[in-house]
Amino acid sequence: MKMGAYIVRRLLLLIPVLLGVSIFIFTLTRVGGDPAAAYISERMNEQQIAAIYERFHLNDPIYVQYWYWLSGILQGDWGYSRVARAPVTTAIQTYFTATFELTLISIFIAVVVGIGLGTVSAVRKDKPVDHATRIMALSGVSLPIFWLALMLQYVFYFQLRWLPVGQRYSTELYLAQGGPMLHHYTGFYFLDCLLNGNFPLFGDALLHLVLPSITLSFGTIAIITRIMRSSMLEVMGLDYIKTARSKGLSERVVIRKHARKNALIPTTTVVGLSFGGLLGGAVLTETIFAWPGLGRWSTAAILQNDWASILGFVLVVAIIYVLVNLVVDLLYAYLDPRVRLG
Amino acid sequence: MNGEEKPVRGWGKRFFEPIKKSMAPRIRELRFSFFLMRKSLLAIVGLAIVLVILILAVFAPVLAPVPEGQRDPLYMPRDFQSPKPPGAEGFILGTGHLGVDIYYGIIWGSRTSIYIAVFVVLVASILGIVLGAIAGYYGGAVDELLMRITDIFLSIPGLVLAMAVAAVLSRSLENIMLALIVVWWPPYARIVRGQVLSIKENTYVEAARAVGSKKSRVLFRHVVPNSLAPMLVSATMDLGVVVLVAAGLSYIGFGPPTGTAEWGKMVSDGQQYFLSTVIYDGVEYNPWWMVTFPGLMIFMFVMGFNLLGDGLRDILDPRLRR
Repeated sequence: MKMGAYIVRRLLLLIPVLLGVSIFIFTLTRVGGDPAAAYISERMNEQQIAAIYERFHLNDPIYVQYWYWLSGILQGDWGYSRVARAPVTTAIQTYFTATFELTLISIFIAVVVGIGLGTVSAVRKDKPVDHATRIMALSGVSLPIFWLALMLQYVFYFQLRWLPVGQRYSTELYLAQGGPMLHHYTGFYFLDCLLNGNFPLFGDALLHLVLPSITLSFGTIAIITRIMRSSMLEVMGLDYIKTARSKGLSERVVIRKHARKNALIPTTTVVGLSFGGLLGGAVLTETIFAWPGLGRWSTAAILQNDWASILGFVLVVAIIYVLVNLVVDLLYAYLDPRVRLG
Repeated sequence: MNGEEKPVRGWGKRFFEPIKKSMAPRIRELRFSFFLMRKSLLAIVGLAIVLVILILAVFAPVLAPVPEGQRDPLYMPRDFQSPKPPGAEGFILGTGHLGVDIYYGIIWGSRTSIYIAVFVVLVASILGIVLGAIAGYYGGAVDELLMRITDIFLSIPGLVLAMAVAAVLSRSLENIMLALIVVWWPPYARIVRGQVLSIKENTYVEAARAVGSKKSRVLFRHVVPNSLAPMLVSATMDLGVVVLVAAGLSYIGFGPPTGTAEWGKMVSDGQQYFLSTVIYDGVEYNPWWMVTFPGLMIFMFVMGFNLLGDGLRDILDPRLRR
C-alpha cells in the first residue's frame, strides 16, 4: 500500500473516533451541570436569563444541542473560557506554545538520556552500571510526579537557590530587559530571546525550563531506558551481530552502527506512546511550576467548572494524541521495512 | 484401563479425590511458579514491600488507634495548632496542616491506597475480561462496536480522561475511583481480546466445541482462563499505577477533603508549608515532613507492585519459563 493512500485512510478513520470523543465529552459536560451557568451573573433578570437559554439553544433536545455545538466547533467557535477571559480558541493558542515548549524539551531530554542509558545498561548487562540504571528506571515509573516536582523545588530552589521556580521568566528581569518588546518568532521563549539577541533573558528563560522539564521527562526517561535496554539485549543476541563481530569490526561500531539502529525501532513506538503520558504529566507539572500552559489552564478550568474550556482542552489533547500516534506508525514503517502499512 | 486404581471409600474422599486429582497439575504449576519467583531477588523485594504495606493496612486500628467517638477512621485526628516537627509531643512523624497527625495518615493511608487499587483494578479487569472476551470470541459487529468504543477511550491520555470524568462528579474518593475505572477497562479489553483471538484457534478449544459444549461454556471455561496471563501481569503493575494516578488526581483537588488520610491529598495539604518556616518551641523549622513522608509511601507502594509485576511476567511468560 502506498504511503499517501495509507495516510488518507488513517485520517479518515480518525473522523469517527474524534466524533465519538466529542459525543463522549459533550455528554459529560451536560451531566456535569447547567452549561448556561457560565454566562449568567447574579445581576441578570429572568428575561435576560431566558435570552441566554434561547441564544445557546439550551431549551432544545440534547441531540440538537450537540449538533449546534459540533457545528460551532467545526466553524471555529469553541465557546468562551471564563478562566482565561478569552474565547477558548484564543486561550488554546496562547497556552499551547508554552506546553509545546515544555513537552518538546522534555521528550528531547528523555530520548537522549533514555537511549544512552538503555544502551549502556544493555552493553554492560549485570554490571553495576546496569543495576544502577535499572533501579533508576524503576523509580522513574514509580515516583509521583508532583512529589518529585516538590522535592526538586525544595532542593534546588529553596535550599541551594540555584534555580528559579514558577512562570517562564523572572518578572523583574523580564520587564528590565524589555521583555514585552520582544518579537515572538516561535513562541518558545528561550528561542525567541536568542533570536532577539537578548542574552540575559535567554539565560533566564533556560533556567526556568530546567526544573519543569526534568520533572516531566523523568518518567519518560525511565520508560525509554527500559524498552531500549530490552530491545538492545534482544538484538545483541541475533546472528547478524555475531557476523559483524566475526568480520572483525570493533565493538564500538557493532554497537553503534549495527545493534543500536535496529534496537531503536521498538523504542520509537514507545516514545510516541509516552507522549500521551507527557501531556497528562504536563497537567501536574504546569500546575506546580505555575507554567502558563494548557495543563494549568485546564486544572483551573476544572476546579471552576468552566465547561467550554474543559471541552476544548480534552478535544485538543485527543486530536494531538491521535495525530502523534499516526506519525509514530508511519515512522515505524519507515524504520522497519518489514512492517507493511495496511 | 483404570483396572489397578483402587475404588475410593467414604463419601468425603469420593467427593474430594477427583478434585484433588484434577487440581494436582495446577498445584504443581503453582509450586513451580513460587520456585521461579524465589530466584528473582527484585520480585521478592517487591513482595516484601507489598506485604509490609498490607500489614500496615490490616493492623491500622492497632498501629494508629482511632480516637474515641470518631466514626470515620480516614478523618485524621487534629489539634488545630501550627505544625510540629517529627518527634514533638509524641507525634512520631510530626503534624501537618490543621495539626493533623502525619503518622496516623501514613498508616490509614495504606488502607485507602489498597482500597483504591484493588477496587479499581478488580472492576476494570472484570469489565475488560468480559467485554474483551466477547469481542474476541464472537467477532463481527459486536467486536467492531466494542473496539471502536475502546478506540475512543484510548484516544484521550489517561490522566486527562480521568480528569474530565472526575470533573463532572463531586469531589470524593469514590468518584476518583469511578473515573479511574472508566480509564482503565479499555486496555484490558484490548489485551484479553487479542489473547482470545489466538487461543480460540487451539485444538483443545475445537475439541471442547466438538463434544457439544455451549458457546458460553467454551468461552469462559476453556478460552478465557488461558487468555489471562498477560492481563494478570499488567493488572499487578496497575495496582501500583492506579494509586499513582489517584494520588495525582487527589493532589490536583478532585479527591476527598483536606485532612483525609489519603497520601496524595496529604502531599497537597502539606505543600503550602513546604517552602516556608514554622516556629515550634522557639526553634525555626522548615516543614519538610508533611510532604516527604506521604510521597515516600506512594513511591514505595507503586515500586512494590511494579517489582512484583515484573517478577510475575518472568514467571508467567512461557517463553521465559523452562
